[in-house]
Amino acid sequence: MSEMKIVGKRVLRSDAYDKVTGGRGYPVNVRLPGMLHAKLLRSPYPHARVLHIDTSKAEKLAGVKAVLTPAEVPQIKFHPVFFSPSLAASMIRDMLILSDTVRFAGQPVAAVAAVQPEAAEEALKLIHVEYERLPAVFDPDQAVQSGAPRIHEHAESNVAMHPSFSFGDLERGFEEADYVFENTYQTQRVHTCYLEPRVCVVESDSQGNLTVWSSTQHIFGLREKLAFALGLPISTVKVVKPPYIGGGFGGKLDMGYIEPICALLSRKTGRPVRIEQTRYEDFITTARNPIKIHLKTGVKKDGTFTARYAKSILDTGAHATHGAVVLMVHGFYGFLLRYRCPNQKWEGYTVYTNNMIGGGFRGYGAPQAAFAVESQIDEICEELELDPIELRLKNAHSEGQPHPFDPSFNLSTYRFEECLKKGAEAIGWADRPSANSMGGTRKRGIGLACQPLWVSGCIGFPDIYEHSGAIIKLNVDGTADLSVATVDMGCGQNTVLAQIAAEELGVPLEAVRITYADTETVPFDAPSHASRVTYSAGLAVQAAAGAAKKRVFDIAGRLLNTSVEKLEITNGRVHIEGSAEKGVSLGDVVKQAESPYVVMVPDGTQRTRLSEKGTIMGMASLAPTSNPSPATAEFVEVEVDTETGEVKVLRVVFAHDIGRVINPPGAEGQVEGGTQQGVGYALMENLVFDQTSGACLTGDFLDYKIPTALEMPPEIKCIFIESNEPTGPFGAKSLAEPCLIVPAPAIANAVYNAVGVRVRDLPITPEKILAGLGKL
Amino acid sequence: MKQRINLTINEELQEVFVEPHQTLLHVLREELGLIGTKKGCDTGGCGCCTVLLDDRAVYACMVFALSAQGKKIITIEGLRENGKLDPVQEAFIEAGAVQCGYCTCGMIMAAKAFLLHNPAPSDQEIRAGIAGNLCRCTGYHKIVEAVRAASRPG
Repeated sequence: MSEMKIVGKRVLRSDAYDKVTGGRGYPVNVRLPGMLHAKLLRSPYPHARVLHIDTSKAEKLAGVKAVLTPAEVPQIKFHPVFFSPSLAASMIRDMLILSDTVRFAGQPVAAVAAVQPEAAEEALKLIHVEYERLPAVFDPDQAVQSGAPRIHEHAESNVAMHPSFSFGDLERGFEEADYVFENTYQTQRVHTCYLEPRVCVVESDSQGNLTVWSSTQHIFGLREKLAFALGLPISTVKVVKPPYIGGGFGGKLDMGYIEPICALLSRKTGRPVRIEQTRYEDFITTARNPIKIHLKTGVKKDGTFTARYAKSILDTGAHATHGAVVLMVHGFYGFLLRYRCPNQKWEGYTVYTNNMIGGGFRGYGAPQAAFAVESQIDEICEELELDPIELRLKNAHSEGQPHPFDPSFNLSTYRFEECLKKGAEAIGWADRPSANSMGGTRKRGIGLACQPLWVSGCIGFPDIYEHSGAIIKLNVDGTADLSVATVDMGCGQNTVLAQIAAEELGVPLEAVRITYADTETVPFDAPSHASRVTYSAGLAVQAAAGAAKKRVFDIAGRLLNTSVEKLEITNGRVHIEGSAEKGVSLGDVVKQAESPYVVMVPDGTQRTRLSEKGTIMGMASLAPTSNPSPATAEFVEVEVDTETGEVKVLRVVFAHDIGRVINPPGAEGQVEGGTQQGVGYALMENLVFDQTSGACLTGDFLDYKIPTALEMPPEIKCIFIESNEPTGPFGAKSLAEPCLIVPAPAIANAVYNAVGVRVRDLPITPEKILAGLGKL
Repeated sequence: MKQRINLTINEELQEVFVEPHQTLLHVLREELGLIGTKKGCDTGGCGCCTVLLDDRAVYACMVFALSAQGKKIITIEGLRENGKLDPVQEAFIEAGAVQCGYCTCGMIMAAKAFLLHNPAPSDQEIRAGIAGNLCRCTGYHKIVEAVRAASRPG
């Protein structure tokens, strides 16, 4: 590959100027003429039947234009997460837009649209709802007991799903083991904490066609889900892509209650309707599912795994939503595929409770598994006096082997060992003290954790239509407009995709603009999730730019009187290889294509051939051929205060084989931000609910603590191991999710190294440290 | 009942009609269209709505519009002078301190106020100075770099 001019360079984000001066492109800023504001009436009870709703007083309040109750809502059960039609049929459809059965505290039971939000809020207080309270259950262990309150008719023992996978001979594997380790790990419910609230505006035209502006991570998924829940053909729903959204992290993957409710209210009133969630509403909208993991591992004296059994009990809350698929990803990428182990069984239970529903959150089931497995590996090493790096490497996959999930492709690039070795060197692993060997009251420790296998999209698992699309259109001034469906939720894809297009087209980065898109104008794309956009959408962008370039060469070849094979584009100028001075500007080629008679050559007028006429565009809609795995090792140093139990993360070294890095500062930003979420997951974040009323007790940022600049380690070192992935755009793989998957177990292991306290339930609070030290 | 008040925002006198309970954030966004100031929580927890009030950083969601009368209010829209970015804005772009951008305007205003009072801070002081503003994308690392770059060499 010739030397790259834009890919791999430290470039500035294309949206940074706009964002530092005010940033107008967020869905929270959408306002339409005549727009109404809606509010949701939410149930104060976690489990109840709605017997009667009296809206008469609310309807009479000045400014109120419509009230919506379950009786006026299509009773079509839906699943709010987008999957391909073939897979969607197997998903558990257990939600209604408004239902007469309440299954968690905060579930909407009615809605009001009014001229002003204050009037809508006031009207909620005038709605009288008669509830029949039902017994509620919040603990998944209790929910599966006989006699527990039944939450859904279809789910006996409240088990929504019970997947199980095994290979090898588990019993023999445990017999062959020299040691067997058995532990239980528990993770907590945490929120994505995007800072822009979930918000939408829906406008119905006079024939009931809907246009939707929403803070969504996936315009096509929202279109499909909204049409399904409302019983409409998808062609009647258009979802406009927001130029930006204020963070997502998986928390804006699914359709919420707000979009279908706004749609119905807009149809009812003939006016656009907007809902902006409050922060409290956001906190009870979706969360990372808590999972309790029972983990049993058989191991030889030398650290070779012989058998592994894991059982995961996932609290899916009131509805299945992501619960089923999070559990599958958790099972496969968390346990079965993680390291080599010939005899394995994993089984999972997705359990209904009267808690809030779960959702996507960066890592999607993997952080819970990583906490269990990577913690237990260190427990094994401690007992067997083995080095945690050596044990991991002994059981690791290797480059070139068939992919353990789908042997139809190989781990073509996989530098896991290099991640561990370079990371170890940077943190000073060789000088790591043995556990709890420091004197004094503030003890330091070093720990590590890995995510050996992860994804660059979803090919094969689950099959959610791993397609990407792009349209690129060249302008007469030599610039290019690029349209894609994937939403930039902050990760910087707009910059990365523009770099890929600019590199392929041979134009300066500033010449590529990411433009408008909606579900009617651009090809399908899967969501901005699963660490997939750079890899998958990047491939589509590269292909679209390549197609446009081909048309440019066809015309330029004749203008320059040369064969197209000899042409290249440098800095927006089409020229014969090696002689950049002789050539024609890209803009002039576009002019030639768009105009019938243009003087283009020194010796006279050149007539364009009919076949060359028209706007120069390139389009692509494709599925990547592989799902290459990144590999991750993270090392952290912590300091534990043995008098207060407080844990401080001092240093982080993150070594990661992500393929070719497209934009280094963007990639570093992913690691640094993932570390913030990981430190929060490890040490402080926890959504807490009252165990009687089901009410959220941590519904704002004063009670739900996420790390501020003061809680963050001052030193975060990124080591990118740039394998050149042959299937990726300019050699790229993926990055986003492992940055949050590994910190919690790395910190847990470092805490153990510092003070000899093993915490197996997150978060690692001062209380747990002090209890472990025998001080509480 | 609505009251007529005058607010000095970005060196311009603005006449607005407000209810006593309405916040400065509400007035900026909903009445004056100054949407660079973001609403992240409306409960004084995130810092997205940070503006300068007499050169001090405040959460606009925690200030009644009435109480901002007679004070000098600066929002993100008022930082640019003659089309030229403020050094803090420049530094945020250069350092790659912007991701989703939703915290960015509040963060810049917090940094601006902080640097007015402590123009040559240490890294630890910078961290403390922006600790009232949450960011979920960047881990604050490049934000600290940006504020350092915009500060006077100490």
